[in-house]
Amino acid sequence: MRENENVLKKPENREKSRGTGQSETMEQFRAMARLELCNIFGLNVLRHTKDPKAKRKSSGLFCLYVFLLAVTAFYVGGLVYGLVFLGMDEVVFAYLIAISSVIIFVFGVLKAGSVLFRREGYDMACALPVPTAAVVFARILRMYVENLGFSLVVLLPGTIVYAWNVRPGAAFYLALWLGMLSVPMIPMAGAVLAGVLVTGASSRMRHKSLVAAGLSILLVLGIFWLTSRMSALEGALDLEMLKNVSAFVFMMLGRLYAPAVWLGKAVVYGDVLHCLMCVGLSLAIFAVVSAGVCACFHPICRNLYGGFARHDYKVEELGGLKGKSVLVSLCCREFRRYFASSIYVANTIIGPIMGCVISGMLLFFGMDSLEAYIPFPIDSGSLAPFLLGGVFCMMTATSTSISMEGKNWWIVKSLPLSAKHILDAKILMNLLLVLPFYLAAEVMLFLAVRPGIMEALWTLLVPAVTIVFSCVYGITVNLHFPVLNWESEVSVVKQSASAVLGGIGGFILAILCLLAAMVVPKEYADVLRLGLCVVLILVTAVLYKGNNRNAMAWE
Amino acid sequence: MLTIEHLTKHYKGSGKGVTDLSLHIAPGDVYAFIGHNGAGKTTTLKCVAGILDFDGGTILVDGINLRENPIACKRQFAYIPDNPDIYEYLTGIQYLNFIADVFAVGAGERQERIKKYADEFEITASLGDLVSTYSHGMKQKLALISALVHRPKLLILDEPFVGLDPKAAVILKNVMHRICEEGGAIFFSTHVLDVAEKLCNRVAIIKDGTLIASGEMEEIVKAGQSLEDIFMEVVEDAGE
Repeated sequence: MRENENVLKKPENREKSRGTGQSETMEQFRAMARLELCNIFGLNVLRHTKDPKAKRKSSGLFCLYVFLLAVTAFYVGGLVYGLVFLGMDEVVFAYLIAISSVIIFVFGVLKAGSVLFRREGYDMACALPVPTAAVVFARILRMYVENLGFSLVVLLPGTIVYAWNVRPGAAFYLALWLGMLSVPMIPMAGAVLAGVLVTGASSRMRHKSLVAAGLSILLVLGIFWLTSRMSALEGALDLEMLKNVSAFVFMMLGRLYAPAVWLGKAVVYGDVLHCLMCVGLSLAIFAVVSAGVCACFHPICRNLYGGFARHDYKVEELGGLKGKSVLVSLCCREFRRYFASSIYVANTIIGPIMGCVISGMLLFFGMDSLEAYIPFPIDSGSLAPFLLGGVFCMMTATSTSISMEGKNWWIVKSLPLSAKHILDAKILMNLLLVLPFYLAAEVMLFLAVRPGIMEALWTLLVPAVTIVFSCVYGITVNLHFPVLNWESEVSVVKQSASAVLGGIGGFILAILCLLAAMVVPKEYADVLRLGLCVVLILVTAVLYKGNNRNAMAWE
Repeated sequence: MLTIEHLTKHYKGSGKGVTDLSLHIAPGDVYAFIGHNGAGKTTTLKCVAGILDFDGGTILVDGINLRENPIACKRQFAYIPDNPDIYEYLTGIQYLNFIADVFAVGAGERQERIKKYADEFEITASLGDLVSTYSHGMKQKLALISALVHRPKLLILDEPFVGLDPKAAVILKNVMHRICEEGGAIFFSTHVLDVAEKLCNRVAIIKDGTLIASGEMEEIVKAGQSLEDIFMEVVEDAGE
C-alpha cells in the first residue's frame, strides 16, 4: 500500500491538473514513469522489505556492483591516463563514448524486446485510461535510465582523470554535461529498433521464443562479423595516417560509430554548438524510434500474449503417453523451460556458438586468424582448448536455472523430488545443450590443429572438464543468490547476482587457465594441463556435493 | 492421516505466522480450515506441503515425519495452492504427464485417470494447448487433475473453489467425498463457510496464527446456528 502511495503521490496536484486535457496527459506520463522507475534495480523492494535475509542479500549484491564499478573505473581511468600521457587527449571522449555505445547496443539488442514488450503490467496498463505513448515512454525511460547509469560509469571516471590532467575550461563541462545525457540515445534507439524487428517478426509465429532467440543470436553474430570486417580493413589504411595516431584513432572510431567522434570532439573542444547539434540528432533519432515503438506496441503485444490455443486435443492421443524416469522427465521439463524464453536462450547459448565460431575461424581462416583478435602474442594451437573451454562456460544456463523457476517454485517443492534429482536435471540439460556445439567445435579444432595423441587428449579433455565445472558452478552460484519473485525474465538473466557471478566465474577461469598456459614452459605443458584438469575435477566434485547438501533444505 | 503438533512458524521481520498449532486429521475426514485474511491458513498449508520450513513442532503424514523423511511424506499427498501458477511453457497434457512421471504412475493408469478427470472437468480438448493460454479456472482444473492423477491419500487444498465454475465445484465436492470414502482425507482452507458447513465433518478456526477452535462440525455448529454465526462469535471472543 505504501508503495502505491509513493507511486501515486501528490493527489492534490492531480486534482488541480484535471483542468486541461494536456496537463492530465502529462500527469499520466509522470505517473507511469514513476511506476516504472520506482523499483529500478530493485531499490523500492530493498527500501521497504522487512526481511533481514533479503536485505543482506541485496547489500551483498550492492557490494558486488560497487566492486565491478571500481574495477571499471580503474580500467577506464588507466585508459584515459594512458591516452593523455601519449598526447592523445583529443580522442579520449570519442573513445569512451564509442566503448559505452557499443556495449549499450550489443546488450540492448539482446534485451530490448523482452523489456519493451514484457507481459508484467501490460494488462493493467491496458485497462488504465492512459495513452499507449505513456506506457511505452515509461518502459523506454527505464531502459534509458539504466543505460545512462552505465554510460556514466564509463564516462565519469574518465572525465575525472582527464580534467585532473588537462584542466579544461568551463565550456568543456557545459558540453560534457549536455553530451553525457545523449550518449545512450542512438545506441539505445538502434537496439530498440532491432528488438522491435526481432520481436515483431517472431510474434507472428507459433514458436515465438525460439525464433526470437535465433534472430537475436544472428544479429549479435552479425555485429561481431561487421566489427571483424572493420578491423580487417586496417591493412588498407594509408600509412601516412599512422604518423598522426589521433587521426588514425578518429578514423577507426568513425567507422565503428561516427556520432562518438562528433560528440567526442565537441566535448573536448568545448564546442557547445556542435554538442547541441549532436544532442539534437540523438534526440531526433530516439524520438522517431520511440514513435515507431508506440505504433506497433499493441499489435506486437497482442500477437505475443494473445495465445495460440487450438482446443483440438483428442482423447485417442492419450494412448501415446509414455512413462519416463524422474530424471528424464525433469530434464525434458528443463529443456522446455529453456526454449520457452528467448532472452534465456539468447544470453546463454552465445558462449557455445562463439566456441564453434572460434574453431571455425581456426579451420577456415588458418591458425593466425585467431591471433589477430587477441591483444597479446599466443600460440593458438596449444591455447585453443583453454580458450574453447573458457568461451563455452561464459554465461552458463545453470547459473540462473533455479531463479527461472519463479512463481512455479511451489510445484517442485511440494512434489516428492530430492534436491539431487532437481539439480542433476538442470546440470544434465545444460550438458546436453552444449554437447552438439562441443562436438562440432572439437571436430573443427581437430581438423584445424591436426594434433598428436597427447594434444588430442587435452583438446578433448580441457573444454569438457571446464564445461562440467561451469554447469556445477552455475548451480552453486544460483543456490546462493536465487531470485524467485521476479517481475521480468530480464532481471534474472541479465541483472541478477547469479547471472553476473556465473558470467564472471567462467571468464576468470578462462583467463587464469590461459595465463597459466602462457607462463608455463612448453615442456611442462602436459603437466600443467593434467594439473588444471585434476584441480577442476576436484573443485567440481566438492561444489557438486556442497550443492546437494545445501539444497537438502528444499526437501 | 495428518498430525500437526505444536507447529510454529514466524516470518522474520513481521513476526507474523503460526504459533503452537496442533491438529489431527483422520482417514475419511473432510477438514475445513477457516480464518480471516492473514490468519495463517496458507502458512500452515505450505508448511504441511513442505514448501515452507517451520521453526518448531512436528508434522506427520500417514505416520511419516515430514522433517525426517520429506520425500516419503510428499508421496502421500497432493497440494494445490490458491493461485496455481503452473508451468506456462508446457501443454496441459505435458504437465499431467510430468506429474505422473514423478509419482511413477503406470502408462495405463495415467491414461485412464487423465481421461476420466479431464472429461469430468471438461478440459480434454484444451490438454494439447499451452498452459499460458488457460484461464484461471482452467489452470485450477488442471492442477486438480494433476493432484488426482496419482491417487493421493491426503489432499491439501488452499481455497480450492475460487475460480471454479459451478459444475466443476460440484465435481470437486464429489471427488472429495470419493477420496474420503476410499480412506483418504482432505484438508482445505476456504472463506466460503456455507460450503465448509455442508461438505466437512470437521473444522478448525484460526485467528492471528493461533488455533481458537477445532473439532467435529456437529459439535461446533450447534442447533439453530450456522458456521458463519459460530465463526463470528468465536473470532470476536478471541479478540477480547
